[in-house]
Amino acid sequence: MAIAEKTGAAPGIGALVNDGRYRAVFYQIVVFGLVFWLIYSLVLNTQQNLETRGMTASFDFLFGTAGFAIAWTPLDYKPNDTYFFVYWVGIVNTLIISVISIILATVLGFFVGILRLSRNWLISQIAAWYVEFLRNTPLLLQILFWYLGAFASLPRPKSSIHILGLDWLVLNNRGFYFPYPEPDNLFWLTPLALLIGLVAAFWYNRRSRIQQLTTGVYRSTLWQTLGLVIGLPVLVFIVSGMPLSWEVPALKGFNFRGGTFVLPSMCSVLVAMVVYHSAYAAEMVRAGIQSVSHGQTEAAYSLGLKPSWTLRLVIIPQAMRAIVPPMISLWMNIVKNSSLAIAIGFPDLVAVFMQTSLNQSGHAIEIVGMVMLFYMTVSLTISGCLNIYNSRIQLKER
Amino acid sequence: MSDVPTRDADGMIIFRPKPSQPPPPNTTGVIGWLRFNLFNGIFSTLATLIGLAALVYVFLAFYDWAIVKGVWEAQNRQECRLGKEWGTCWAGVEFWFSGFIYGRYPAPEIWRINLAALILVLWMAPLWIPRVTAKSVIGLSAVLVFPFLAGYMFLGGERNLFMVAVVPVAMVWFAATMVHVLLCVLTGHGLGRWIIHLTGFSNRSDRAARYPLMAAAAVAWLLVLFAIRDWTLVEVGTNRWGGLFLTTVISGIGIASALPSGIVLALGRRSKMPIIRILCIGFIELFRSVPLITILFMATTMFPLFLPEGLVFNKLASAIVAVCLFAAAYMAETVRGGLQAIPKGQYEAAEAVGLGYWKVMGLIVLPQALKLMIPNIVGNFIGLFKDTTLVSIIGLYDLLGMVKAVSHDPQWIGLHHEPLFTAALIFFLACFAMSKYSQYLERKLGAGDRR
Repeated sequence: MAIAEKTGAAPGIGALVNDGRYRAVFYQIVVFGLVFWLIYSLVLNTQQNLETRGMTASFDFLFGTAGFAIAWTPLDYKPNDTYFFVYWVGIVNTLIISVISIILATVLGFFVGILRLSRNWLISQIAAWYVEFLRNTPLLLQILFWYLGAFASLPRPKSSIHILGLDWLVLNNRGFYFPYPEPDNLFWLTPLALLIGLVAAFWYNRRSRIQQLTTGVYRSTLWQTLGLVIGLPVLVFIVSGMPLSWEVPALKGFNFRGGTFVLPSMCSVLVAMVVYHSAYAAEMVRAGIQSVSHGQTEAAYSLGLKPSWTLRLVIIPQAMRAIVPPMISLWMNIVKNSSLAIAIGFPDLVAVFMQTSLNQSGHAIEIVGMVMLFYMTVSLTISGCLNIYNSRIQLKER
Repeated sequence: MSDVPTRDADGMIIFRPKPSQPPPPNTTGVIGWLRFNLFNGIFSTLATLIGLAALVYVFLAFYDWAIVKGVWEAQNRQECRLGKEWGTCWAGVEFWFSGFIYGRYPAPEIWRINLAALILVLWMAPLWIPRVTAKSVIGLSAVLVFPFLAGYMFLGGERNLFMVAVVPVAMVWFAATMVHVLLCVLTGHGLGRWIIHLTGFSNRSDRAARYPLMAAAAVAWLLVLFAIRDWTLVEVGTNRWGGLFLTTVISGIGIASALPSGIVLALGRRSKMPIIRILCIGFIELFRSVPLITILFMATTMFPLFLPEGLVFNKLASAIVAVCLFAAAYMAETVRGGLQAIPKGQYEAAEAVGLGYWKVMGLIVLPQALKLMIPNIVGNFIGLFKDTTLVSIIGLYDLLGMVKAVSHDPQWIGLHHEPLFTAALIFFLACFAMSKYSQYLERKLGAGDRR
């Protein structure tokens, strides 16, 4: 009777830990309970702490006046705008430096990565040490170096540096000044022409590819594509009477007026981020190209492909499969690392919102939450794109 | 051809190879190497010349800045500038160098940091001595026991009840490790064997043989506890910690805590239990998708709100917690990568033998995965070591914070380049050495897999 009870359906307390069916549920309930208790006690503590400080957690403060100036933004921000607009300004500034850094770092990274694979020993060694030195020092230190060592110690506006000897590219300790385009009437025709050119070029390339697949006749589309994408807009621009005037910076009084400018801190962040991340990109490019086995090159040659076609049709498509995924995570890192701009006072999201606004308004929870929400949105979007790309280019085996 | 082939008795042609010709001139030796690697065609030659010119230019500029203009003896920055026109002020770096390493730690107490570093080195060194046994115990204790000893040595002050108990444990453990290593090297048998042997328990069962070990440990612990009861170190507040010392403390604690928590998170992420999996994924993705600086700000601004009233975290503790959370999320992804690299057959075989989940993981999967992960873990550590510089933004004086502090010192006001260069060199040497070592490890550990 006792044995029957033991093996029967009625589970004792021990079954919670020893029986595979209940154990998983039991553990999950325990963990969930612990986490729930942790969050509950945090919320309780927070409520108590907020009460003693006479504060409430709400998003109403977002519509109050911020009341501080922001040193640089392309938007039309004034100190009497709301905190919500400050959030938006921060996001725009962060995205601007991130996007510029991503583009330039990727280009420079490809260049250095190819130099690293050069058959010339000296060149490949220089590229290798470039990568080693940049990767093994902290980004923050490099940003400070570019700021304190280069851009903040430039001459005063009176004795500015003119890049390449040009009057309208001015570099001084107030920033980098360059002309700003002012579109006149009919300028809208040029972007329209560019759009039409892009669509037409895409359509033309697609048609010739289909033709090659069906008939086997290959025609080069390089000139036609260039003509459509570059030639057409230039032609329209000239025909419509060059409706674009440049506002040029000029020295007036103690500073330059006209045109537009970026802060020394922005220059430093951009240069530091581009250079630092290009080292990582270079390593990815090198590893990606080296991951394509030499047999592929030999096989392509033995089929009679010339070296440039081998590179374009055989090596690069396969190398891309190894380069793109880490490259996209590098881009994600660039967006995150742009927050280091705070160290030298560039007004990015963390600086204007998480530091200045938080110190002024004291709404820590809401602000930290909103900043984290932005970075999470960007990260999850990028990694979502990465997953789609990965599933598309994965080797279709068997 | 004039020479007639020689034939043997049956009239068959005997094959007689010609002596091989010497290699074409200029393809071997130094000249050949130069021709092939540096002057292989017009473009290569041009590239070599441009590269050489750039190198010479950079070297000369650096030589001029660092050596020709270098000033090593000066009381303040003004003297540096006047002595040689715009001299490079190495005197300032010299003056502040101890600050770069130890922060504002009081000078008469600096020996404590050095001693703790020496103890750590002695504690870890046996891991590289082949004859030493029980390496896993030594390695684990260096990570789990040493921090308490080091923590007391750095902080000093009156010991609370916990520290009264733990500090002697760490001391006894260290002494036992040293004796053990010496015995291993000299006699080939470890400390445990000797104690069992000398107490005459060597022919008793394993279970009984444990008693003399426990007794010895307890006696030693009590002796040390009694001996150091009146011994205290001067208290040094964490606000005086700084420099490379602080950088190492933060990143060391970060990586030491990241490994176990990363393993737990990675196992949770691959678990079949939905709630545990979702919680782990949420934690990992949250902390991986936001920048470290936002986590640090969160720690300094939100922890005071989260904690019960009366409990106050100082800035260093908040920063360390933030770094630990951050490092754990990254380590979890590294561990997951290692776990995914283990073929499914290993899991299935282990389960087929009848092992449970923890035995499958602990005995079969993790040992193989950890071996694969070692280069990535070192890479993680290098990244964390560099990222620790961010604590200077929230006002801690780590190496970079000290470098920035130099330029605020009235004596050396505005001195930027030289301290920054010094810090860059320190970081480079440390990180470069670590990355080279991890590459060496990768080759050594992968030797069994290569054909």
